[in-house]
Amino acid sequence: MAQPAGLLYSKEHEWVKLDGDVATVGITDYAQASLGDIVYVELPRLGATLEQFGSIGVVESVKAVSDIFTPVGGEVIAINDAIEADPALVNREPYDGGWFYKVKLGDVSQSAELMSPEQYDRLISQT
Amino acid sequence: MNDASGALRRTALHGAHLALGARMVPFGGFEMPVQYASILAEHEAVRKRAGLFDLSHMGQFELHGSEVGEWAESLTVNRVANMKPGAARYNIFTNERGGAHDDVIFYRVSDDDWLLVVNASNADAMWALVSAAQAGDVRLTNLHGERALIAIQGPRAASLLQPYVEADLAGLRYYACTRTRVRETRDPILIARTGYTGEDGFELFLSNDEAVGVWDLLLAENRKHGLAACGLGARDVLRLEAGMPLYGHEMDEEITPLQAGLAWAIKFDKPAFVGKDALAAQRDADDYARIVGVTMEGRAPARAGYTVFAGGERAGEVRSGSWGPSLGKNVATALVVPSAAAEGTPLEIEIRGTRHPAVTVPLPFYRRPKK
Repeated sequence: MAQPAGLLYSKEHEWVKLDGDVATVGITDYAQASLGDIVYVELPRLGATLEQFGSIGVVESVKAVSDIFTPVGGEVIAINDAIEADPALVNREPYDGGWFYKVKLGDVSQSAELMSPEQYDRLISQT
Repeated sequence: MNDASGALRRTALHGAHLALGARMVPFGGFEMPVQYASILAEHEAVRKRAGLFDLSHMGQFELHGSEVGEWAESLTVNRVANMKPGAARYNIFTNERGGAHDDVIFYRVSDDDWLLVVNASNADAMWALVSAAQAGDVRLTNLHGERALIAIQGPRAASLLQPYVEADLAGLRYYACTRTRVRETRDPILIARTGYTGEDGFELFLSNDEAVGVWDLLLAENRKHGLAACGLGARDVLRLEAGMPLYGHEMDEEITPLQAGLAWAIKFDKPAFVGKDALAAQRDADDYARIVGVTMEGRAPARAGYTVFAGGERAGEVRSGSWGPSLGKNVATALVVPSAAAEGTPLEIEIRGTRHPAVTVPLPFYRRPKK
């Protein structure tokens, strides 16, 4: 899967879709393939305030627990309920149905800390 | 185990794993496939059809002589001397405290020829132990890494394997073994109806140079019947669901076979064996922490090391845990105080600072359907 255009990326293999000051966050195809079968995602609570790059939840594969580091900070305004009952949705649709949460950005300039699709592509081709 | 440089050893099937796109990990001093495409897909293959496993990293010791049975009985909890040729039997080598050095399988190939298979992680320590304990008419040969081991496990294992072996598999009972000719091998090999998945299946002890031919042939001709290569990741989920202990988790140098729920394997009427007195005392006091099954109410998996609470008090710790696809629930084993061991005891498992509801259940979680 080529890196979708129109998204920004973090070093920790998350993607961010910006819509004004609302960011949708998920993990990339590279991340879901590396993790393998995802069995659980622990998301932040609605209303929680996140610090950019802080550890805010976990993604669990069959064998391992991995921290989620939020690529942007702000207030959590939505979480994806569908992935609790069907965590494999994250593997199947990392950029669509498998989104994790939405954040109202406290500081829209935080997006400058993130990578373009081309930069992320270079990152993963080096690993 | 590792060579002088510390590099990992490779089984005879290493190239085959890479060709199948396996993700390789270090295990027991070997590079082993943890998964090919997907742990859950491989797990499903074994439960519904058949899976092929490379277990060549496990320790294999040949034992030869007229006194092997008696010698082994003095070092282990189960009986060995009364095994008939063609039998396989699970056993545990114990220390003086009744704790486990390793859990193993003995295969009696003939009156005087035996095979002992030990865990990969304990292969060096177990070789040192049996070598040091050698006595009488018992000759030991270390075949670790010198002979391959392939397992085929699943409801279709017998029907898929039969065309390749001379022996009539329908006549080979569970935990029996026999030497038989197999396609692509020069000489007869040992096969056993043993496994670590809770399904029917067979283990094939092959020479290193013949293992690839057999592996490739079985996969090439039986992919269409649903045979899949399966890695150690799937193996661990399968054995956990089947309630089978993993050394280092449900049993170790301190956690005894009694605590691990394996009283059936401990023959207290043997006159003497290492750890007998300690195990008898433990049995008689009956106040020991013990391994139980645990199912989680929610979707967060329990993992080894998480604390178990019962009635608000610390009651033990999780020893193994995983999503259990056959159950549609998170399953775990835990070492808990006796008061938390009764089926139905409400538990809480602490996961990242939050306590999640769970319950004590009997093992196994999964039993294969009766035919």
